[in-house]
Amino acid sequence: MPVIEVTGLAKDFRSGRAAVHALRDVTFAVDEGRFVTLVGPSGCGKSTLLAIMAGLIAPTRGEARIEGAPITAPMPAKIGMVFQDPTLLPWKSALANVEFPLALRHVDPATRRKRCMELLDLVGLSEFADHYPHELSGGMRQRVAIARGLAQDPRLILMDEPFAALDEQMRTRMGHDLLDIWEKTGKTIFFITHSLTEAIYLSDTVLVMSARPGRIIATLAIDFPRPRELDIIGSENFGRIRNRIWHLISERGE
Amino acid sequence: MKARHIRIMLIAAALLVLWELIVRSGLVSPIIVAAPSDVLLAAKKDGAVFLRALLITVTEIGVAIVIAWTLGIVFGLIVGSSYLVAAATAPVLSSIFAIPLIILYPLLMAWLGVGPLSKVVFGVLAGFFPIALNTIDGVRAVDRGYVNFARSIGATRLETNALIVFPLALPAIVSGLRVGTGLVVIGVIVTEMLASLGGLGYVISYHRSLFDTGHVYFGMALALLIALGVNIALTRLDRRIGHWRLQQQGES
Repeated sequence: MPVIEVTGLAKDFRSGRAAVHALRDVTFAVDEGRFVTLVGPSGCGKSTLLAIMAGLIAPTRGEARIEGAPITAPMPAKIGMVFQDPTLLPWKSALANVEFPLALRHVDPATRRKRCMELLDLVGLSEFADHYPHELSGGMRQRVAIARGLAQDPRLILMDEPFAALDEQMRTRMGHDLLDIWEKTGKTIFFITHSLTEAIYLSDTVLVMSARPGRIIATLAIDFPRPRELDIIGSENFGRIRNRIWHLISERGE
Repeated sequence: MKARHIRIMLIAAALLVLWELIVRSGLVSPIIVAAPSDVLLAAKKDGAVFLRALLITVTEIGVAIVIAWTLGIVFGLIVGSSYLVAAATAPVLSSIFAIPLIILYPLLMAWLGVGPLSKVVFGVLAGFFPIALNTIDGVRAVDRGYVNFARSIGATRLETNALIVFPLALPAIVSGLRVGTGLVVIGVIVTEMLASLGGLGYVISYHRSLFDTGHVYFGMALALLIALGVNIALTRLDRRIGHWRLQQQGES
């Protein structure tokens, strides 16, 4: 059973008099426990799609459903989000940042503290619980943001280019650790990136989106066995898949 | 350290003596420059009057500060958090801020009388604009990502503003408070000098018309004391917020 279904989704923006077609006829579904990534050129509407799936903006046509229920507003109990910018609150410690969504829901302090310490442990930051965001590296801040996205125990995690601001090495390591977190929690993850390597390495399925208007032009199953090691990135098969996606995107991009 | 303090005090005492001697020697008219002893005499003679006036002025300023801060911040938060309202309002506010507000005082006096009420209202008016404008700027500078994050965790608009946007905008708000509070102090004292029945500005103005220069100086010294107190309080506040500002710089 799919956790999230997107059917016939379209989004037009007004820009002066002209209508900009950001998304057109986007249809796909993500099954429970899967890691699905959407790749596409910059400005193809990836983030718009994610914002609709998060209930932050409304589509022009079509709909997104989570566990059968239409998404018309943010659903914090079912959908967790991680953004490109960690958006941590600078005056709160790492632990308090992770606790923030639960504090907002008036979860009692002892329960939320225990749960959030476990989450910090999961992302490898239990020793940094009392550190403030400015005392953490970029990668560490993004780990805190991931733990925060997990705090309300959502069914689905939406990730909007979460590692784009990190350097190559850190990015690769974060991807590796994210898979570890995903395997331990069994969450369904919908991930957006423009890095083909990142998409293939992480995912069960890669959705390829064309440039504006954004449409899904290919769905590729990635069947490298799990748990995956970073070595697969250098393999011939990996290179073949990457070339194929690259051609798909660049042909349409002309 | 101790030796340095003693040196500063000795220099100050020497300057005071010099000042006293210059005035006594008749080089300058005592109407233009009062000797330190005249100031002390004024304090001794009319200390109670000054104290009552100080109390009135401090109360007016205190009330005006509370209202100006509250109105300015609340208005700024509401306007700043809506893109359209901010785009429509900010230019109007900026141009009002550029008008010398004192030209409105005759109107206020006609409507509200010469008593403390018109002083408080003018003080609020003087302080409101910089506070509101800085709050609007601070709120608009908050990264959209924070608002999306707040919505994604189900925060209401009020929760988003109170728990996320307001604290993030606080450094900008505090610089607005610094400017605005200074203008409240000036506004109250100036309008007291223009027309009133009490307060420090009134006493200064009254004695100026009698050429009691010593009294005028003493009143000025008390007014400076108020400004100094307000400034010290604001610097403390700024320093506490500055602690976050550093952290925010680390964040970006």
